[in-house]
Amino acid sequence: MAEVRAEIVGNVWKLLVAQGDAVSAGDTLAVLESMKMEIPVHAPVTGVVGEVPVAEGQIVQEGDVVVVIEGSSTDA
Amino acid sequence: MTQPAVTTVQDTAPAGPRDVLLQRRAERAVRVEPRGRREHTARERAEMLLDAGTFVEMTPMRSSGGAGSGVVAGWGLVEGRPVVVASHDAAVASGAIGPVLAEGVMKAQRLAIERGYPIVYVNDSGGARIHDGIFALHGCGGIFKLNVEAQQVVPQISVIVGPCAGAAAYSPALTDWTIMVREQGHMFLTGPEIVRAATGEDATAEAIGGADMHAIESGVAHLAVDSEAEALDAARRLLSFLPSHKGGAQNVQEARPTDEVAAQALPHLVPEKSSIVFDMHKLLDGVLDAGDRLELMPDHGRSMLTVLGRLDGRPVGVVANQPAARGGILDAISAVKAARFVEFCSRFGLPVVTFVDVPGFLPGTVEERRGVITHGAKMLKAYAEATSPVLTVVVRKAYGGAYIAMGASSLGADASWAWASSEIAVMGPGGAVALLHRRALQAAEDPAELRDRLAAEYRENVARPYLAAEAGIVDDVILPEETRSTMVETLRMLTHEAGHRG
Repeated sequence: MAEVRAEIVGNVWKLLVAQGDAVSAGDTLAVLESMKMEIPVHAPVTGVVGEVPVAEGQIVQEGDVVVVIEGSSTDA
Repeated sequence: MTQPAVTTVQDTAPAGPRDVLLQRRAERAVRVEPRGRREHTARERAEMLLDAGTFVEMTPMRSSGGAGSGVVAGWGLVEGRPVVVASHDAAVASGAIGPVLAEGVMKAQRLAIERGYPIVYVNDSGGARIHDGIFALHGCGGIFKLNVEAQQVVPQISVIVGPCAGAAAYSPALTDWTIMVREQGHMFLTGPEIVRAATGEDATAEAIGGADMHAIESGVAHLAVDSEAEALDAARRLLSFLPSHKGGAQNVQEARPTDEVAAQALPHLVPEKSSIVFDMHKLLDGVLDAGDRLELMPDHGRSMLTVLGRLDGRPVGVVANQPAARGGILDAISAVKAARFVEFCSRFGLPVVTFVDVPGFLPGTVEERRGVITHGAKMLKAYAEATSPVLTVVVRKAYGGAYIAMGASSLGADASWAWASSEIAVMGPGGAVALLHRRALQAAEDPAELRDRLAAEYRENVARPYLAAEAGIVDDVILPEETRSTMVETLRMLTHEAGHRG
C-alpha cells in the first residue's frame, strides 16, 4: 500500500481517479491548486486506487493523504 | 598495503632493523572489524579517494598506547591536484576521538590551511573517547576551531562511512559538504540507547541519524549514496568543480556545447500558462555545457535546485526554482538551501547562475512559525554579499519578494535578463486585479469576464519585462535560444584576466 501525500498546502482542485481505478506509476491522480499553480499529484507506484480520503474543493495540508494505492509493488 | 620486495643480505640473521620496520608497517594495515556494511580500512578509503598510488601518509607511527593513532592522515592527488585527507581508523578503539587522533586530524587541517589544499574528512568514529575525559573534548574542540579557520581558506568535504556520534558529528557540520552512505553512516548527538535512556523515545539509528533522514529532512547531509566507493567518488566529482583554495584558479576545462536536443526544445519548454509546471532540469540541459553536472541536496527543499555545472567550460553554481516540485515556491527550507549554496559559490569564486520562475514565498502560519522571514533574509544576504559573478535570468514569473531574493539586480547581480514571455511584478495578475479593481469587480455584471480582461491587461501593461528593461532593472529582454550565448559572452567579460584588479 502506498499513501500518496500532498507535497504542499493547497486546495484539491481536481480528482482524476476514483476507488478501484488501475493506475500506473507516474500517472496524475489529482491536481492541487496552491500559489496559483496547478500542482499535479503523481502515482509513485503502479496499483489500484483504494481509499480517496479527500474531495474536490477540500483544503489539504502538506503531508495529508490524497490517494491510497493498493496492490502496489511496495506491498511485498 | 603493498609491500616492497625485501632482499635480505643474510637469511639466517636475527630480525634486523629493516625487518622490524617492515613488520611494524604490515601491522598498521589492520582491517577494520566488519561491523555493519563496512568494506574498507581507513587507509584503503584514503587510497580510493585519491589518484592511484599518490597517497602519502603523515606520521604513520604516531600511536596511542601502541594501538595506532586512530586516524590515517596524509595527502595525495585528485585528478592531478593536491588534496589532504584525514580518514578515521575504526580498527583503533572504534575511531573514538582521543587527544592523539585529534592531533592527527589537526595536523592534516594545518597542512590544508597552510598549503591551500582542499581537505576531505572520512568519518567513522564513535565520538569522543570517554576514558580520555577532558583531553578528548579538548581535542574535539581543536578540530572544530580549525574547521572554522579552514572555511575561509579551502573547500572541506565530509564523507560519513560509519557512526559519527556526539562530538564527532559537529566537525562535518562545520565543513562545506557532507556525503553519507546509506545504512552505514549515521550522524547523531546520541544513538538509540542513550535517546531511550534520556527521553524514553524509542527510535532506530536510521531514524535518528540515517543518510536518507539527513539528506531528505534535516538537511545535515547534502548527498546520500549506497556505498563507500560511491561516496568517495562523489567527493572527487565535487572537487572537480572547485578551486584548490579561496582565490585559487578555477578548474576550467574545454567548453562542451550544450545538449543539442535540449537546446532545440528550449523555446517550447516553458508552458505559456504560468500555472502549469515544467521540469527546470530540462532548461538547464538546454543552457549549460552538456554532461558534467552534480546536484547538491537533491532531496531536501526540492522546490529549489542547487547544481554544480559548467558554462563555457567554467565551473558555475546554478540556483533555480523547480516548478515540478511544490510549484517552485520559496519557503524557509529552500531559502536556507539557496543561501548556503550562494555563499559557498561566492567564497570560492564560482559564478552564480540563477534561473527564476517563482510563484512567491509560501505564505501562512506554518512558514511564519518556522521563521521564514529570518531564513528568507539569509538568501537576500547571500546574494547581496556575493563577490563572484552573479548572472540571473527570469524565465517565466518573478513576483514580489521572491523576485528580489532570486538574485535580482538590486541585490547586486552583475547581469540579469528576462525572457520575452516572462512576468515581473509585485504580485501575479490575479491577486493584483482583485486588489486594484475590488469595487469595479463587485459592481460588474459579469465579474469573471471583467477579471480575466483586467488580468490580461495587467499582464501586458504592467508585468511584461520591457518596463524592467527600459528602466535598466534587467539588462535586456532575450529569447530562450539566446540565453546560452548571452550568458557565455557576459561570463567571459566578467572573468577575463585583463579585468582582475589588485
